[in-house]
Amino acid sequence: MNRFSIVGAALVGVAGLLAAPAIAQQETKQEPKSASGQAKVSPVTQQQLNSADKNSTNFLLTNGNYAQTRFYPAKQIDRDNVKNLHVAWIFQTDVKESLETSPIVVDGVMFVTTSFSHVYALDAKTGEQLWHYNHKMGPITTYCCGPNNRGVQVLGDLVYLATLDSKLIALNAKSGEVVWKTDIADPEQGYSETMAPTVIKDKVLIGTNGGEYGIRGFVKAYDAKTGKLLWTFNTVPENSVGVWATKDATGRDMHRNIQAEKDQLAKTGDPYQKLGGGVWQNPAVDLATNRIYFVVGNPSPDLDGSVRPGDNLYTDSLVSLDLDTGKYVCHFQYIAHDVWDLDAVSPAVLVDVKGKDGKTIPGVIHAGKTGHIYVHDRKDCSLIRFSEAMVPQENMWVLPTKEGARMLPGANGGVEWSPIATDPGQELAYAINLHQPMNYFVENSPYPNGKLWLGGAFKAIPTEKQSGNITAVNYNTGKIKWQVKTPEPMIGGILATAGGLVFTGEGNGKFAAYNSSNGKELWNFRAGAGVNAPPSSYMVGGKQYIVVGAGGNTQVDFHRGNNIIAFSLN
Amino acid sequence: MYRKSNFCIFAAVVLAAVLNVCVTPLYAQSIAEKTQLCAGCHGADGKPIDKTIPTLWGQQAGYIYIQLRDFKRGDRKSDIMQPIASSLERQDMLDIAEYFSKKPWPDLGQPSASKDVAARAVSANQSIGCTGCHLDHFQGDGTVPRLAGMGKDYLAKQMTDFRSRARGNNPGMSDLMLATPPDDLVALAEYLSGL
Ligand code: HEC
Ligand code: HEC
Repeated sequence: MNRFSIVGAALVGVAGLLAAPAIAQQETKQEPKSASGQAKVSPVTQQQLNSADKNSTNFLLTNGNYAQTRFYPAKQIDRDNVKNLHVAWIFQTDVKESLETSPIVVDGVMFVTTSFSHVYALDAKTGEQLWHYNHKMGPITTYCCGPNNRGVQVLGDLVYLATLDSKLIALNAKSGEVVWKTDIADPEQGYSETMAPTVIKDKVLIGTNGGEYGIRGFVKAYDAKTGKLLWTFNTVPENSVGVWATKDATGRDMHRNIQAEKDQLAKTGDPYQKLGGGVWQNPAVDLATNRIYFVVGNPSPDLDGSVRPGDNLYTDSLVSLDLDTGKYVCHFQYIAHDVWDLDAVSPAVLVDVKGKDGKTIPGVIHAGKTGHIYVHDRKDCSLIRFSEAMVPQENMWVLPTKEGARMLPGANGGVEWSPIATDPGQELAYAINLHQPMNYFVENSPYPNGKLWLGGAFKAIPTEKQSGNITAVNYNTGKIKWQVKTPEPMIGGILATAGGLVFTGEGNGKFAAYNSSNGKELWNFRAGAGVNAPPSSYMVGGKQYIVVGAGGNTQVDFHRGNNIIAFSLN
Repeated sequence: MYRKSNFCIFAAVVLAAVLNVCVTPLYAQSIAEKTQLCAGCHGADGKPIDKTIPTLWGQQAGYIYIQLRDFKRGDRKSDIMQPIASSLERQDMLDIAEYFSKKPWPDLGQPSASKDVAARAVSANQSIGCTGCHLDHFQGDGTVPRLAGMGKDYLAKQMTDFRSRARGNNPGMSDLMLATPPDDLVALAEYLSGL
């Protein structure tokens, strides 16, 4: 993933920027003197986590449950009464920077994170702070797309956090004190962490960022009690060449010069060691088969394919592993030898789908930066179908040039890291999309020792209007059921509920509820800062809440803030 | 240590070449002594003595460290800084970086850009997304430098040098500068220096 390329002038008034004083962006309020409270959380059991999908009180996992459906089973807030939703409380964090956190809730205690890897435990009923973990960042951080953090997970009485300086930390859930800490990888080589860990069966699973720095990507599993490394799966195998695919997953020609690549391969060998392949988002876990499913990001350097001959396996792919051993099970590559950074970042979701023969089978779906939702057979990762494009596609796949070649979608997508939601009852997947026309430029330079290695640039075309949309796709037909257009590109996430609703936010601060069957807007709220984080829901004291972060976004430069906002009916 | 650091500062300012001789024993000194040399050019009050010299006070620690590392490795070329950095070990670099990062950023008194120039710079930022890495208000973080309030001539030179790859220690920045027209870079230097 990637993207420094930004959005249009419409977003930030020029006057606003001109007036902006040179102030530090962090620490907007005093550090609280006392670590005040203790959080009264009872230990979270594996059994509870396994059945998180049926739990209409807690929100235990980043994407709701191990299948990552982001479908919340409570229905107190519904299509009729959602118009009465109002603010229950607002918590202001100490960090006014890009906010991508997925709040999780355990028995009335909420855990949220902010940029620069802070963690807060809050009273989910009142918004009162129980404790705050302020990570002491090492001097060397090398990351792409903002100092983000997307959340934590709890197992037993530990809270698991992965930090921007690439450390894995277990905190005491009651006090926020560090229990153990381990280095994941070297930030000086371009590694960083922004994702929430997935904790399952005493293992902490974590991927890595760094596809803009010539890393070798991985998913690692650590012992949840001790932090000891259990296994590592390199997302780029020693033989990364593949089958010299000339077409993408949808059958379009990618204009590869296979002969030139083969000559390069003969000269410089397999490029696997610096080939990128970050894993930005959580794996889905299939509890029945003990397998995990995740997607792998772009090859390094992003836009220059000349130095990395071959399909660049398993970049831009869906990959499945055995949970116990980390051994490869299957993969499916969407774009071989990607030179547009239109990679795979939005987390994979496990739902039952109709197979090619119309029979219902266990499936796995992924929303791509290409703007398609891809539907796979969970057994062998094979592609069953792909959806209609959710965003305009033009000139695919024109190769990047020195002068810049225009192609849609732009390098942010389609669907960026934003998790999708699903409503299995309606066979629908809900995705938020960006539309940013861009020119793709290519440049050539050798591996720069952990420095930014883009192999070119993508540049938003200032004269072309940008926009976004919320799209509901029937994953059994691939057809778009409804689409709501938004004035700006969308990044953050979406939640579906049994109340027949979807909730999502926009960079201009709008947060809204839509009828999940037809996209009709039923309620909205203006947060004052970009709502660019995935919403969650929970119950305390018999009342259902919706919670979301409003802190804007670095990558698409949406107005920053530091609010966690909870809503309820009365 | 056979020469006084005072002399080194003098020599540094007057004749960079002499530095080879002066700075060798840096490792044996305290942080205050080590940074005394730097003050000769980067400014005892944080304000550089010359327009071609960057501000170190308040700069991001990770960035300062990486630059010293790159000067030493020869990845970033500078007749002045290479010999100075060559005498530093990794821990010295980290200590020096932390020392300077804790100092307040100096106000060089550079004027805010005019409306037109600022509009041009803001538009260039929007199409490349400088703040996607340099962060809101160009304050930097980690290994990405603060640009707001940096000397204008220095900024202009670095962007041109990235563009021509004369500064070769970050090909990513070079690629981005190559995708930005030279006129925009002039506007950016003026705009950033006045923030
Ligand atoms: C003789 C003058 C001189 C002395 C003494 C000096 N510097 Fe420099 N320094 C420069 C110049 C000139 C540059 C800009 C080089 C270029 O144009 O690439 C620079 C660049 C730097 C940079 C890169 C900053 C940036 O924004 O990219 C760092 C870091 C630095 N110096 C650290 C130090 C430290 C630490 C010391 C003392 C140990 C020191 N310098 C001593 C002249 C000096
Ligand atoms: C993808 C991330 C990224 C983007 C986008 C980006 N930069 Fe940079 N920039 C960096 C990094 C990293 C460095 C440090 C270079 C090094 O390692 O020496 C840097 C260095 C610089 C420097 C040198 C500062 C100094 O003290 O020497 C300037 C000037 C600069 N950038 C300007 C810009 C401008 C203007 C833009 C937008 C047009 C921009 N950058 C976009 C990452 C980025």
